[in-house]
Amino acid sequence: MGLLKGTINALADPRLYFIVAVLSLIVMVWKREKVASNAFGYSMMGLLTAFFVFGAFDPNFQLIIGKPDNVPIIGLIFSLLFLTWYAMREAVRNDRRIAAGKGPIEKEESDRVWVWPDLVYTELISLVVCSVILIVWSIVLKAPLEQPANRSVTPNPSKAPWYFLGLQEMLVYFDPWLAGVVLPGLIIVGLIAIPYIDKNPKGNGYYTFNERKAEIVIFLFGFVILWVSLIVLGTFLRGPNWNFFGPFEYWDVHKLEALVNVNLSEYIWVRALRTGLPGNWFLREIFGILFVIVYTFALPPILAKSAFKKYYEKLGPPRYYVTVFLFLMMMSLPAKMLLRWLFNLKYIVAIPEFFFNI
Amino acid sequence: MADKKGVGHAYNIDFLNVVFAASSIFLLLSTIWMVWDDYDREWKNVQRRFVNLEIQVTQAGLERAQRGVDQNKLKTLETGLAQAEQNIASNQQKVGEIQSQLGTVEARLYRESQAAQFAKATYDQDRYEFEAARVAGSSSAARMGESVAAQERELAGLNLIVEKTTAERGALLKQQEQFTGALAAVQKQIAELHAEGTRLDRRLDVLQPSVLKDFFRDAPLLDFMAPTIKIQQILLPNVVDDVNFTRVAKMDRCTTCHLAIDRADPLYEKYPQPYKPHPNLATYLASNSPHPMDQVGCTVCHEGMGQSVSFRDASHMPSGANEEEREAKQIRWEEEHDWEEPHLWDFPMLPADMTEASCAKCHKSEVFVPRADKLNVAYATFERAGCYACHKTRGFEDVKKPGPILTKIDSKLTPDWVKTWLRNPRAVKPTTWMPRVWYNSNSSAPEDAARNEVEIDAAVAYLFANAAPHEPAVKSPPRGDAKRGEPIVKSVGCLGCHAVDEKTRVEAGPNRTFGQPLQNIGNKTTYEWIYNWVRDPKHYSPATYMPDLRLTDAQVADVATYLSGLKGGGGDAAKATPDQTAVDATLMSYYYPNLMPFEDAKAAVSKLDAKAKQVELGRLVINRYGCYSCHEIKGFETTRPIGTELSEEGSKLVSRLDFAFVEGIPHTSKIEWFRTKLHDPRIFDQGRVLQPLDKLRMPNFDFADEEISRLLTAIMSFQREIQPAQAMPVKTARYDYLVQGRTLVHRRNCVGCHIIEGDGGDFLKLVSDPSLGPPMLTPEGARVKPDWLYAFLRGPITIRPWLEVRMPTFGLDDAGWNGVIRYFGAISNTIGPFQTHEVVSASVGADAGSKALFDLLKCQQCHVLGAIPKDQPTSNLAPDLRMSAERLQPDWILQWLRVPATILPGTRMPAFWPDYPKSYYTEMGGSAEAQVRAIRDYLLTLRGGPSPMQGAARSATTNNN
Repeated sequence: MGLLKGTINALADPRLYFIVAVLSLIVMVWKREKVASNAFGYSMMGLLTAFFVFGAFDPNFQLIIGKPDNVPIIGLIFSLLFLTWYAMREAVRNDRRIAAGKGPIEKEESDRVWVWPDLVYTELISLVVCSVILIVWSIVLKAPLEQPANRSVTPNPSKAPWYFLGLQEMLVYFDPWLAGVVLPGLIIVGLIAIPYIDKNPKGNGYYTFNERKAEIVIFLFGFVILWVSLIVLGTFLRGPNWNFFGPFEYWDVHKLEALVNVNLSEYIWVRALRTGLPGNWFLREIFGILFVIVYTFALPPILAKSAFKKYYEKLGPPRYYVTVFLFLMMMSLPAKMLLRWLFNLKYIVAIPEFFFNI
Repeated sequence: MADKKGVGHAYNIDFLNVVFAASSIFLLLSTIWMVWDDYDREWKNVQRRFVNLEIQVTQAGLERAQRGVDQNKLKTLETGLAQAEQNIASNQQKVGEIQSQLGTVEARLYRESQAAQFAKATYDQDRYEFEAARVAGSSSAARMGESVAAQERELAGLNLIVEKTTAERGALLKQQEQFTGALAAVQKQIAELHAEGTRLDRRLDVLQPSVLKDFFRDAPLLDFMAPTIKIQQILLPNVVDDVNFTRVAKMDRCTTCHLAIDRADPLYEKYPQPYKPHPNLATYLASNSPHPMDQVGCTVCHEGMGQSVSFRDASHMPSGANEEEREAKQIRWEEEHDWEEPHLWDFPMLPADMTEASCAKCHKSEVFVPRADKLNVAYATFERAGCYACHKTRGFEDVKKPGPILTKIDSKLTPDWVKTWLRNPRAVKPTTWMPRVWYNSNSSAPEDAARNEVEIDAAVAYLFANAAPHEPAVKSPPRGDAKRGEPIVKSVGCLGCHAVDEKTRVEAGPNRTFGQPLQNIGNKTTYEWIYNWVRDPKHYSPATYMPDLRLTDAQVADVATYLSGLKGGGGDAAKATPDQTAVDATLMSYYYPNLMPFEDAKAAVSKLDAKAKQVELGRLVINRYGCYSCHEIKGFETTRPIGTELSEEGSKLVSRLDFAFVEGIPHTSKIEWFRTKLHDPRIFDQGRVLQPLDKLRMPNFDFADEEISRLLTAIMSFQREIQPAQAMPVKTARYDYLVQGRTLVHRRNCVGCHIIEGDGGDFLKLVSDPSLGPPMLTPEGARVKPDWLYAFLRGPITIRPWLEVRMPTFGLDDAGWNGVIRYFGAISNTIGPFQTHEVVSASVGADAGSKALFDLLKCQQCHVLGAIPKDQPTSNLAPDLRMSAERLQPDWILQWLRVPATILPGTRMPAFWPDYPKSYYTEMGGSAEAQVRAIRDYLLTLRGGPSPMQGAARSATTNNN
């Protein structure tokens, strides 16, 4: 039992957690034929339920999942996994039909719109069920209140509302101006831009995977991995001092984590070139600045000529550059994460002289 | 739906019907649950149950009121009633006529006055519009002015009509009263007789179950309109809650459940909580008490979240004499009220036995608050333990260092004794307040022993190396007789401040541990030192509070011989014999890395010889453990104390406290943290890896549970000051005198011997009869004259020669004595040195009758009048009456003669006039007051008793020389 809990605690380390999540995504896409079976779906939900039931016997786990604040996130885990699986199942079924030349299921019914009574009735039932859930919730769960706010006492851990925990997790890797302003801004701009970028008419009104592989994979990576799984991580696995705690660990305020991160400039000047850091910040950070410029401005044209050649031709230059820019910005988070985990890299560009760090 | 089959359905409609039906049923059920959940709230049930209790109490009260009605008076009144009714009956026709006229007139008056009121309302409105139009220069103003003038005339006419009709009605009423006046008067008297009963009866009517109340006003879902069950609250504009960003007026809803909290009816006492009334309503809550409920509320004293109406969220805290009681209560609460450790409010309720801590919020920096016994003993313990010496605390800044001076240690103690003492002081003297600095929970491992011994040796070496030479006043004093010394020590008053036989500090109490315990003192120091100390303590320690008992040299020798014979084993032996390398290593650990770099530290250590190393290490050790906070030590005169400031410790947030690896106590409870800390001050080092200098260093006082709960009360009383000035008690000179005086008599331990304002008098418990002990001083200000008191305090004289206990000479300065005298004056509210002269002049003319009465009452049987009366047990003897004129306040003598037992409960002075103002005696026309005055006047003619005045004059002369 202790071994099992220890293994789960170890797996929940943010690095492994992130890698396991990415691997799961890859496996799900790769082995989608198997994943799409009902047996797989039900056994996955069963396993998840079993995990929570098993965990509920552990006092520390109980404390975390029992917090009224965290209950919706448990619902989120179940509904997100179920809906992802469900979409994949439907997509796989349609893909089989399309491969067999029958067209998607939705096509057969495209001459009808079931409004009365189907739509209206199900809406009414949803309304009733939601009311029941809200009423029971308000009776059973206590309001997650705390003592009066105090400017001299910050709650530890200080957590953002659950839907922003993904952003808060980014703060571990980026400065606030990036993680809190630029990247969220780009998320919104990117979402607005999607209809103008994505002109692929396939998959419109029906489930499919094969016809929209790249789009779906990018979406799943951006939403399920970078957004939702970081919310789950932030809710259940980040404890006092934003330290990481496994699901069966006690949230001890005294726990310490060694912070031994170094900047890119230190890597290059001190470790590689074996000289001191130059006094001039521009000279000192020149490599980082060059790296950022290359990543942002040189990489898109290079990619257009190599890996993304197909897309460049399909989308045309303006769409292509916007898309790749947004994509690269999205990928900067996992890139920075990897750099941190592999090389303890703190900042690529670190200019404390005017609080500019990347 | 058969006709739609051709189109088909996305879903199975029959199945959807089932789902819809099921979810609708669930919605209905959850809605019922919601309504029930609200109906079933804790406080609502509490109020429902209370109604039953209140009915019982009211019924009992009603029966009592009915029994209490004066039946004879009632009978008389009823006869009067019958007569009056008969009188009316015989004039039936006339009365009927008047009443019918009256009816007509009253109906007319109603119509007329309504007409006048409406006319006035219209007139007021039009007048305003006219005024506004005229100011605006409107063209229609003139026309409006005319209309207003017309209305005014009309209104005046209407008013006149009303006046006329009113007069008409008055005349009719007067006529009617000729016939019915008597009846009304009798009825009123009968109603007055039944007033209490009627009031309770009405209350019962309200309380009794009724259809309207139970099935409509308080019914589920309807109870939002006009329920009888509702939240009660006290709004306190002058008392605030600090919610960090602002301060808001306090709103206490405690009375929503504590419904009988201010009810005086003793019947409520027997009901369980939350229905119990507040204890001591005369002091708290009653509208005429110093703390009326509508001005003070609840949570300013009890803490907790006043706005909450749930047991849990109000932050109730279990109390109990010991751990088991507290736990039992907590478990019961968890079962009955879903109680959990409060975390919604930073200041949870104080456990009931610590509530007095809140007295200090308004009674700021008052060492003694009358009737706050728990707080008083808490502060006494806080001072005795010397907490304030290391921990700066508001209100305790000017208190003397609690430990004896160590600047002349060489002439008093030997290094070996000091080492044994330091290892474990309580093994040598069980009642000492000296804490254990070494061999504590974080320094008792076998590998710590060497370091402990090195540090102890070094500290002792420093003290002896820095001791100033001291010449005893009497060298090689003569020996006395221990057998004669023991009774002196036990009776003369030493035990008011010192403990000898007691085994624990709790047993001895804070007052009797004021001075050093005398246990095993023979092992501690030399006969010569004890002799000189008893003879003149200020010679060795000029600032000591130890007074001069004015013993003769022979008595001093007896006492010193007895004390030096108090020897016993005890004391812990050294647990290691450290060598020079251990000393070097320890010194090194102090130097590096805290004070200097490694090489410098090495050089500094090697530069010193063995002796100098010891002394240098001693300096560092004393500095680290803060010995100088309690003791005067050369070289540390200005060093700041080492402890955390405690001035606002009671308001500290629990998140500021480090629970480290200590399990088994709730990490949300401040009080439990303090309790654990006081129990073992080093416990939070448990389980940690620490360098020696990073370890906690608060010493261990081996506090008993009782002492810990006292100190917790003291700590919880050190609060942030957030209440506004208008919430504080009114400042007066008298109040200031009281506060200053209370501080002085407690800091000088006057209360070790005397009872003052109901506190102290510990020495009295050691004498066989209270009348043989030091006198109670509460009425002292009313009793004696200030100038006599001043002289007496400066140079006490013997007032009762048969007593063995004596008033010592304290040697306070004039400011101190004036403070004491003002304090006594303030207690009795007799501040001011001037007395009426008429009394004295009256007494000059006291006649022979007074003398006769004086002899008749046999005052001399007990009172000294020159000679001590023989054949009386000593407990009956009383002071020399010849002192009266000089000593006593003339008014007080009168009061004393009238009711001695009220002034001094348990006094042997008989009450000669128990039925005052009646008298047994026939003298002075049998008037008790005249007799009392005659005795007083006679007493004031007596002269020639012992007087402190000459002594004072003499000492003044000596001072002048």
